[in-house]
Amino acid sequence: MVKYAVKRILMVIPVMIGVSIIVFSLMRVFSPDPAPIVLGQHATQASITVWRHANGLDAPVVTQYLTYVAGALKGDLGVSYYTKSPVASEIGARFPATIELAVAAILFASLVGILLGVLAAVKKNSVFDAASSLFALIGVSIPIFWLGILLIMFFSGFLHLLPSGGRINVMLEPAHMTGFYLIDAAIQGNWDALQDALIHIILPALTLGMYSMAIITRMTRSAMLDTLGQDYIRTARAKGISEAKVIGKHALRNSLIPVTTVIGLQFGALLGGALLTESVFSWPGIGKFTVDCILKSDFPIVQGIVLLVAVIFVTINLIADLIYAFLDPRIKYSPKTEG
Amino acid sequence: MKAHVRTLAPVLVLALCAAALAGCAAPSASKPGTGGTATANDTFTYAQGADPRGLDPALVDDGESSKIIVNIYEGLLKYETKSTKVEPSLAESWEISPDGLSYKFKLRQGVKFQDGTDFNADAVKFNIDRQLPPKVTADMGYAGFVFGSVKDVVVNDPYTVTINLTQKNTAFLANLAMSLAAPMVSPKALTDGNNSVMEAPVGTGPYKFVKWSKGENVVLVRNDDYWGEKAKTKNVVFRIISDNSARVLALNNSEVDMIDGIDATVVSKITEGGSKLFEEAGMNVNYMGYNTTTALFKNAAARKAVSQAINVDELVKSLYQGYSEKATTILPTFVPGYDPTVQQVSYDAAAAKAGLAAAGVKNIHMITYSNPRPYNAATGSALATAIQGYLQKVGVQCTIDTFDWTTYKAKVKAGDYDIAFYGWIGDNGDPDNFLNLLADPDPTMNIARWQDPTYKAMIKKALATPNGADRDKQYGAMEKYVAERAIWLPISHAKTLAGYRPNVSGFIYHVTGNVFLSNVVKQ
Repeated sequence: MVKYAVKRILMVIPVMIGVSIIVFSLMRVFSPDPAPIVLGQHATQASITVWRHANGLDAPVVTQYLTYVAGALKGDLGVSYYTKSPVASEIGARFPATIELAVAAILFASLVGILLGVLAAVKKNSVFDAASSLFALIGVSIPIFWLGILLIMFFSGFLHLLPSGGRINVMLEPAHMTGFYLIDAAIQGNWDALQDALIHIILPALTLGMYSMAIITRMTRSAMLDTLGQDYIRTARAKGISEAKVIGKHALRNSLIPVTTVIGLQFGALLGGALLTESVFSWPGIGKFTVDCILKSDFPIVQGIVLLVAVIFVTINLIADLIYAFLDPRIKYSPKTEG
Repeated sequence: MKAHVRTLAPVLVLALCAAALAGCAAPSASKPGTGGTATANDTFTYAQGADPRGLDPALVDDGESSKIIVNIYEGLLKYETKSTKVEPSLAESWEISPDGLSYKFKLRQGVKFQDGTDFNADAVKFNIDRQLPPKVTADMGYAGFVFGSVKDVVVNDPYTVTINLTQKNTAFLANLAMSLAAPMVSPKALTDGNNSVMEAPVGTGPYKFVKWSKGENVVLVRNDDYWGEKAKTKNVVFRIISDNSARVLALNNSEVDMIDGIDATVVSKITEGGSKLFEEAGMNVNYMGYNTTTALFKNAAARKAVSQAINVDELVKSLYQGYSEKATTILPTFVPGYDPTVQQVSYDAAAAKAGLAAAGVKNIHMITYSNPRPYNAATGSALATAIQGYLQKVGVQCTIDTFDWTTYKAKVKAGDYDIAFYGWIGDNGDPDNFLNLLADPDPTMNIARWQDPTYKAMIKKALATPNGADRDKQYGAMEKYVAERAIWLPISHAKTLAGYRPNVSGFIYHVTGNVFLSNVVKQ
């Protein structure tokens, strides 16, 4: 398994080279020239030429790419054209918010999704099964943007229970240590801040997790149904093992294999930032930021974010595969034992 | 691995408990006005649609930055509350040499930057020198506009400074009151920050910078050492809420005290939600330009006949629902030089029909933009379609090509059109800033591509004339000159709209689009 893990980690290198070449070329081919956007209403041809030279944009694209890679290998991802801040600090300022929301959303999606899926499978063809199917169908088909607005209007506009957006009340904001407000507040024992941050994350996490929750519910249900029909489950029941144990230990654990993969992929997608949810809830993550930067042709930031998201996807897939091996001991990745 | 799962279980349980706790705690903690998300009386929260680009006045060009900058920094001069006439700020008085090339400023004494350093003539020189060759950099977007006519800056004594110009430029005074390029930054902060204070601004204004959580908020606190009247509300928070409807909801929910970036579609929700609407004339113009280099519109009679076919009054009312004013001339009414007697060709469909037939105008090629602009909330395509309708009534067929904004600007530059749509957002409140567009050699500024030596001479003369009745008269004459030749058809001036809670008073929403918050009070 260690060998397999090392092999998978090494595979990151060609993936990253491929991704960087694609994003680099796409931005330069399809995005408008950043110079007039950065220099604004009073840009002159002379100032545009000077700026393009200062930012290396007058060099051949291959040279630009090699310069970029050389910098990136030293940990220098460049400086935002628009704000002049280093790319790492621009992304670093927003990424914790994205992770925090993605973790909350996937926690909600997994817990509720697995629970509903198991119940639907166990009580197959009951009213509950139909209800959970309907719920999942709604979850998959409802537009996130609309759901977010509805939740805000109801919980915030009508009931005045929850805030309509943002991460925390600014006056309660904990000192930045990790950038994750929930963790920072907990470490500092700032319970007001923790509570406020939790209140703020409920609606966005629910909105963002809805789609994943629906998929996980359906996946768990069908996997559970498959497993419950297996001979060993019948044997377990024949042995007199309690139904709770049969479902919880024997059936669920085996059904979780495909579900884990789905959770991993969903989590990866959530970490790429959630443009619509972030927009509706003014959540300061990288999703909306990425789109803004694409529109402004802020090449260094877009490149940095795409590379980061690629690394995350590769890593999460790797972790999902490793968990897969743990959940099903029959799976071995060494070619010698394969087959 | 199994052991790991067992250790993970309690963490999951904890997370569940935390979620439950949030659910229980929510009702008591987040009621408006009781804490949680609502704001206390010593904190004023202003919500805008995007992050500022940065907080260094020399390095930014956007309204989001500008609104924050004017509360942290001050310039040598400032605009009057209700107009763009200039008055003293960090400079107490000034004298202009008889040849109009030297401006001598007497500076206010005892003013300190927020980092404790002195504001004096050296600081003025430092700030302007950084935006002049050889120090100026290409990304100082407004350096050329504000200080382009400056030859050098001479320190006469610690509180007197002379700025010498290379050519007469009366608009220079208005430039010094701008929120971009002109505000005075602490030289120490600039030196410490390697010539940039984008994320660590230090000025002399009524509020000082506390922190900026990107994508979230910018927090300012009252500058208790401010030389003038101290700010009334202790904390000011600029919150970033990008979605228009979410911003309105946050206002009606009392999570924020004031919002901007409003369009006509959400106005009713603001008043229905118990909030108030603020309307102010805006420093902009929305217009249609004839390409005076085409065979069709070289002829002034053809341009006039087309203008005559369009009922601008009706068009503005139906398209902008009362949130734009009909433009009678290029200049907004509050800009010096605005002449109320100037009128464009008036609507007369019958006369237009005859005129168009006489000039042989049958088909017109229009280009326009697909997106809303600050001066045209209805989008360029809606405006073009409305005008197409008027022209159809008088027997002229129009083809409209619509492009996204960036592509559109390239098309304007290429010049393949009979009519194009554009607008201008004023920079400094000086009439030259608007009327100079028609003398600009750059076709992306001067979309009519009109090159008239007489007009250019008028522009040059007025720019060298000192502020006052004579200068205003000259600009009035220019407005008339352009209107008579129907080079543009000015359509409208978009109003500035903002929403605020009824317990808020004292803000100054200036015609330049900046919001001054030092007098804000929350009851």
